Amino acid sequence: MFEETEGAVYGYRCTACNELHYPKHQVCRACAGREFEEFPLEGEATLVTWTKLYNLPEGYMKPYLYFGIVAYGNGIRAAGQLEVSSPRLGMKVATTTGLVKEGGKDDVIGLIYR
Amino acid sequence: MREVGIVGIGHTKFGRSKTGYIEMACAAALEALDDAGVKPLAGHGIDQVLLATMGASMINHQSSVASALVDTLNLRPAMAETVENGPASGASAIKMGYSLIASGMADTVLVIGAEMMRVVSGWEGTDFVATMLHPEAEYDLGLTLPALAGMFTRLVMDSYGVTERDLALVAVKNHQNALANPVAHIRLVPDLHAISEDEDKDAVNPYVAEPLRLYDVCPVSDGAAAVLLCALDVAERFPKKPIRIAGIGQATDTHTIAEREVPTDLYAVREAARQAYRMSGLCPDDIDVAELHDAFLILEIVESEEVGFFKRGEGHLAVREGKTSLGGQIPINTSGGLKAKGHPLGATGVSQTVEIVKQLRGEAQGRQVTDAQRGLLVNFGGFGNNVVALILEKEA
Ligand SMILES: [Zn+2]
Repeated sequence: MFEETEGAVYGYRCTACNELHYPKHQVCRACAGREFEEFPLEGEATLVTWTKLYNLPEGYMKPYLYFGIVAYGNGIRAAGQLEVSSPRLGMKVATTTGLVKEGGKDDVIGLIYR
Repeated sequence: MREVGIVGIGHTKFGRSKTGYIEMACAAALEALDDAGVKPLAGHGIDQVLLATMGASMINHQSSVASALVDTLNLRPAMAETVENGPASGASAIKMGYSLIASGMADTVLVIGAEMMRVVSGWEGTDFVATMLHPEAEYDLGLTLPALAGMFTRLVMDSYGVTERDLALVAVKNHQNALANPVAHIRLVPDLHAISEDEDKDAVNPYVAEPLRLYDVCPVSDGAAAVLLCALDVAERFPKKPIRIAGIGQATDTHTIAEREVPTDLYAVREAARQAYRMSGLCPDDIDVAELHDAFLILEIVESEEVGFFKRGEGHLAVREGKTSLGGQIPINTSGGLKAKGHPLGATGVSQTVEIVKQLRGEAQGRQVTDAQRGLLVNFGGFGNNVVALILEKEA
């Protein structure tokens, strides 16, 4: 029922020291380098925390959304929408991307953990 | 460096303003000038006006508002700037006023914090506040401040055994305090059983962002507060004894909360408080009263640990034991806090300062902390990515 990776979400690897960043930083936190190469956020991650949010900002035609923060094996942590039936701390989730905000020409593709 | 004190305070009734933005801001400013015995006529002696606001441009569609205030208050040709640092704008503006005086650029600085939120719908307001978040990694996903607070609350509950009832206890305490504060937005006390234990609690106190419920979140308020700062070496111009700004600290943290090294920590609170203690030469035990930024009640508990009042993971136990209530070891949020007094973003840090000044002057009728000598306040911006702490001290 969900759009397959129609736009990946990327992490950023410092080309000087390999430190990983997400989201993008202009300066590497480890070596102050300024060059990065992209790598897709993908695969399995661990659910660190989650919430079910009822009052959504303007533009959402839903009564609620689930959100989570996950940790990847490489140390990257990221927030995303969450689509699992009963979230539990520490559970494994899969990285997908899909439509996270509908706005006509302003549609946003982002991280959805399933 | 010159020492700086507070010689005038003003505060509007928080809630829904009956006037426009400028008039509301001026009401607080004029009360502070009156309190300090300053007549806004030629020779008024006000060197600088700083306006703290997060949303005047975005919500009220007014820019360069500090310049407008100076003119309508008849304080020309005072210097004027608007200060925007999210919900920490208020304490930031006080910090900048302090710096102007300490450096000799000014002898007197009028700091006004003002926010008018209730002219837009709840949804628009939530969206406006969410613009503080990381544009791609947070905001675009539909994340809001309550969502981040919900995820933070779940982590703290899981790590330290904080319960929904503990949050309800903080709510009842702060609402109880607000009963004695005539400028508080909400002046009624929820029933602890009804909001935390009753079988109908989901109807009375529904989830906003699980596990956060309605009574764990501050209301949306309009309001303004003002303080007049002066160099202690010119304080004899004013009738009231100055309350000295003894310590200031400020620190920043990662923009996204997912990147925080220890996700249950509020590092910027800890670091801002550490700097304020160091500057003042004081320690947590020296503090008699505190205003901690409880936009979400979990924050009051974790901040009370980060500023050193209680050990890590024990803030909620202190609440259960009444240590943070009036008459307890360290009364927190005697004003009602953001939870009950209200949280007009840019006004909040100035409002917290007004409460501490009232406590130290002995003017906090009905909620006075006996013989309060020193107070601490924490003004929290973003979801903790920019925090300002101030320590105020009564002059001997
Ligand atoms: Zn690097």
